[in-house]
Amino acid sequence: MTEFRQNGDVFRYATAGAHLIVSSDQTVPEILQMTKILLIEDDSETAEELVAELTQRGFEVEHAASGIEGLDKARFIKPDLMIVDRMLPGMDGLTIVEALRHDQIRTPVLILSALGAVDDRVRGLRMGGDDYLTKPFAIVELVARIEALLRRPIETRETMLRVGPLELDLIERTARRGEREIELLPREFRLLEYMMQRNEQLLTRAMLLEEVWNYKFVPDTNLVDVHMGRLRHKVDTPGDPPMIHNVRGAGFILRAPS
Amino acid sequence: MRLPDFVRTTTFRWTSIAIALCILLFSAFVYWEAGSSMRADMDASIAEASQAIASDVPERRVIAIEDRLAADPRRTRLAGLFTADGKRIAGNLRDIPPQLAIDARIHATQVVRIDPRKPESMSVRAIGRRLPDGQVLVIARHSGELKELAAAIGRALLLGLPVAGALSLAIGGVLSLRVQRRVDELHAQVRRIIDADLRERLPTANLDHPFDKLAIIANGMLDEIEVLVTEMAGTGNEIAHDLRTPLTRVRVGLERGRANATTVADLQAVADRAIAGVDEVLTIITSLLRIQEIEHYGDRRGFGDVVLAGLLHEACDLYEPIAEDKQVSLRVDVDDDAIVRCDRDLLQEAVINLVDNAVKFTPPHGCVRLALVRGPSDVIIRISDTGPGIGEDEREAVLRRFYRSDKSRRTVGTGLGLSLVSAIVKLHGFRLTLSTGPGCVAEIACPLPER
Repeated sequence: MTEFRQNGDVFRYATAGAHLIVSSDQTVPEILQMTKILLIEDDSETAEELVAELTQRGFEVEHAASGIEGLDKARFIKPDLMIVDRMLPGMDGLTIVEALRHDQIRTPVLILSALGAVDDRVRGLRMGGDDYLTKPFAIVELVARIEALLRRPIETRETMLRVGPLELDLIERTARRGEREIELLPREFRLLEYMMQRNEQLLTRAMLLEEVWNYKFVPDTNLVDVHMGRLRHKVDTPGDPPMIHNVRGAGFILRAPS
Repeated sequence: MRLPDFVRTTTFRWTSIAIALCILLFSAFVYWEAGSSMRADMDASIAEASQAIASDVPERRVIAIEDRLAADPRRTRLAGLFTADGKRIAGNLRDIPPQLAIDARIHATQVVRIDPRKPESMSVRAIGRRLPDGQVLVIARHSGELKELAAAIGRALLLGLPVAGALSLAIGGVLSLRVQRRVDELHAQVRRIIDADLRERLPTANLDHPFDKLAIIANGMLDEIEVLVTEMAGTGNEIAHDLRTPLTRVRVGLERGRANATTVADLQAVADRAIAGVDEVLTIITSLLRIQEIEHYGDRRGFGDVVLAGLLHEACDLYEPIAEDKQVSLRVDVDDDAIVRCDRDLLQEAVINLVDNAVKFTPPHGCVRLALVRGPSDVIIRISDTGPGIGEDEREAVLRRFYRSDKSRRTVGTGLGLSLVSAIVKLHGFRLTLSTGPGCVAEIACPLPER
């Protein structure tokens, strides 16, 4: 596994408010450049850091410091995505989302909160295709989730997934890389299916646990690495150019060999 | 003078009022009962006399009337025989009483009696009847006796009420004093508990007495509070300690890195270690907040019917690779279709934490088993392993926050897993037990929904 750890990115610290944020200097893929993001966050320090960080990564960021201002801007500038702090002065961020949904505005939303997610409203949020992130969070986690929200997999009737030489038959439940048949356990198949639907996209451990295994809280996040190790062992056999990449301190990417 | 405490209690006041009302009502009842029986007697004797005199031959009527009046030492009898036009023939009535209805039933009226001294008007019960020869016969009886009865009862009340009142006050006082003493005792004891010693308990003696029942309930509550307080006092220290250890490491690492790093790569390595340390701290804080969140969740809207077998299989699926890497066999033996009402995500989290623990503490070539055991009214999720197990003396302690068995000091983890499980199980009203088979056996007993 060490070989992948070496292609790490440059990390640096940035403090935002009370939350320690660790970020990796990576710009977002070209198709997401100049995507408009509206950030509704009342804490000016956190907001400043987030705006700087996201701008640097190529997003176009608009900031609103209160719920009312946020709601106005959401209707006026029509962002592609909104990041909403849950605890705004005199308002629950979820109320903004509900107000927008009421007006048939379907912009994807990422809610930030210092609270956990036992709440039913939060569960509803996830079911509606939006996302929720508990503070403090790493910038990579935030960016990965923004990307995931912006690139929701298109609903297709395609029963065959293809990434480079990798093929997944969703009907026959078989996988092959080039000519080689890959024997997969059901859980490995599920993991690979999820990754192939989101190829070229950074998937963090937390995202994989949530989406593939449906777990929000798992005592040991090392679990994902073990599962991924098994899968990689089957997908990337010695001699093949690797397709599953470990992004250091962040997560995993499935990428067709160049 | 200051009144004793019990006099000011509402119970005492209401009881006093109730006793006074009872005495009054009782007297009124006695008066009414005695009065009506007396009146019935009176009416019977009037009817009898009037019948007797009326049925006599006319010549003997006067004598009969005089006989009747003569045999009357208490001077309550009245009688009169009048001609058809109202002139008196015999008797002690001055005239036919104007209000008296003739040939009616016996009723109350006013009459005037001829007296050797002076005529006297009085209330009577009387009957008047017209005889076959046209004469009018009036027989009456002075109803002063009823008044005397009322007066006698009034006197009895006047004398008896204070006595009865005093007596009931005395009894009430004694009873109230006993209750008051008990309350004061409890109060003093509660004060002692509040002020100093949470280990003190309220005294209990007789299981049937309501106060003792109350004391037993309060003692149960105190037990729970004591556990929480002790836990909290310990937790403060343990949190500080558990956070300080990784933070110290981070600080030292940063300090040394800043002084010694010569290349960007060196600095990056330092930063990576620091991030790992800080993440460790964050994990601890997140787990703590999470436990608190679950303990205060209290909301059962997220509850649904969950097939336990599925839950166990998923947990196994998630941990199988890790167990395999450790050469531990992880098995699910379930052929039970039990459905339990719970918050699926939370119960899953509890099961996963137990599986995580079991896999972590089982040495290579050991075995972790997940099973469902059906009880009479519940179904038990059993997670057993072949690890070192938990000693009798540690079973309570492991459920506390941050407790880590000395045996496990060197293993990774926050020491919060089991308290999290405990919080989730409590929220559901399920029961968590830890025991020792060969290894550790953790069981969550879930009551089955009633059919």
